[in-house]
Amino acid sequence: MVANEKRSWFWKKIGFWFVPARSEKLGPEEWAKIRKASRTSKNRRTRRLFALLWVPGLAFEIAVNLRVVRLDPWAGLMSAAMLTMLMGLAVRALRIGFAQVSLEDRATMEHGEEFDALKEKQRGEIFQRAVRDGLFGRVKVDEREAEQRLRAQGAAYRLLGPALVVFVAGYWGMCLFGPFEATRSALAVTAVVVTWLAALVLAAPTMIRMWTQPDEPEETAAIAE
Amino acid sequence: MYKSIMSLHNRIAVLRAERKLSRATLALSVGVNPQTIGFLERGDYTPSLELAFKIAEHFGLPVEAVFSPRPFRTLSEQVYELHKRET
Repeated sequence: MVANEKRSWFWKKIGFWFVPARSEKLGPEEWAKIRKASRTSKNRRTRRLFALLWVPGLAFEIAVNLRVVRLDPWAGLMSAAMLTMLMGLAVRALRIGFAQVSLEDRATMEHGEEFDALKEKQRGEIFQRAVRDGLFGRVKVDEREAEQRLRAQGAAYRLLGPALVVFVAGYWGMCLFGPFEATRSALAVTAVVVTWLAALVLAAPTMIRMWTQPDEPEETAAIAE
Repeated sequence: MYKSIMSLHNRIAVLRAERKLSRATLALSVGVNPQTIGFLERGDYTPSLELAFKIAEHFGLPVEAVFSPRPFRTLSEQVYELHKRET
C-alpha cells in the first residue's frame, strides 16, 4: 500500500472518488472525506440546496428544448426525451439516497463493529456494496420511507391541482385570444384534450378509491362476526 | 406541515442506552432502516402499530412501557415518588 503522503495531488483531491473498486488503497484522509461527503449529501441544508437548484435546472432544460425544437421538431423530440431521462435518473438517485443506510450503520449491521474498528478490506467491501446498491437501487423501503414517499406524493398532487387549473385556463386564453388566426380551431381541439387530461389526472385518486375501497360493514354484521 | 396529529412519546433511546444496543442492531431486529430508529427516537416519526409491537417485543416489555401518548416521567421523579411511598 502506498503511503498517503507519497500520493499525487490529483489522487489526494480527485482520483480516489473514481476508484471505489480499489478502495483497499484508501488512506484515513480519503475515508474521512468519503464519510463526510456521505453525511453532507444527506443533511437538510444540502437537500434544500438541491431542491432550489432543481428549478433553474428545469428552466435551463426547457430553454434548451425550445431552442432545439425550433430548429428541428425531431431533434426537439430527441432532446426532450434525453433531458427528461436525465432528470428522471437524477430524481431516482435522490430517492434511493433517502433510503440508503450510512457506512457507519452498515458496519454495525454487517460486522457488529464501528466503522473505524474495521479492517481496510472490510471498509472497502462495505463502500463498494454501498456504491453498487446505490447504482442498482437496492435499498430497503421500510414503513417510514414508504410513508414519506406517500406524503410527498400527496403534497405534490395538492400543488398539481391548482397548477393544472391555472395552466388549462391559460391554455384556453392563449388559444382564444392569441395571434393564431390560421390555426385557432386546431389549437382549440388541443385545448379540449388538455382540459380533459387535466380532469382525468385530478379525478384519478377519487376514482381509484371508488374502485378499491371495501364495503362498510353494517353493525349487525360486525356483531355476528 | 405533515406532522402527525397525535405525537407518540417513546423510551427507545433510554432502553437502547441501557442495553448498549446500537441503532443498526435494533433496526435489523425489527426490520427497518437504522435511520428510522433515529427518527423515532427524535419524535419525528410515529410508528405503525406493527412496528411499535415489534420494538416492545424486542425489549421484552409491554408496548405501553415503551410508547405513550403522554410524555414519560423522568427516572428521578419516579425514584423519588417510590422512595416517598416507601417512607
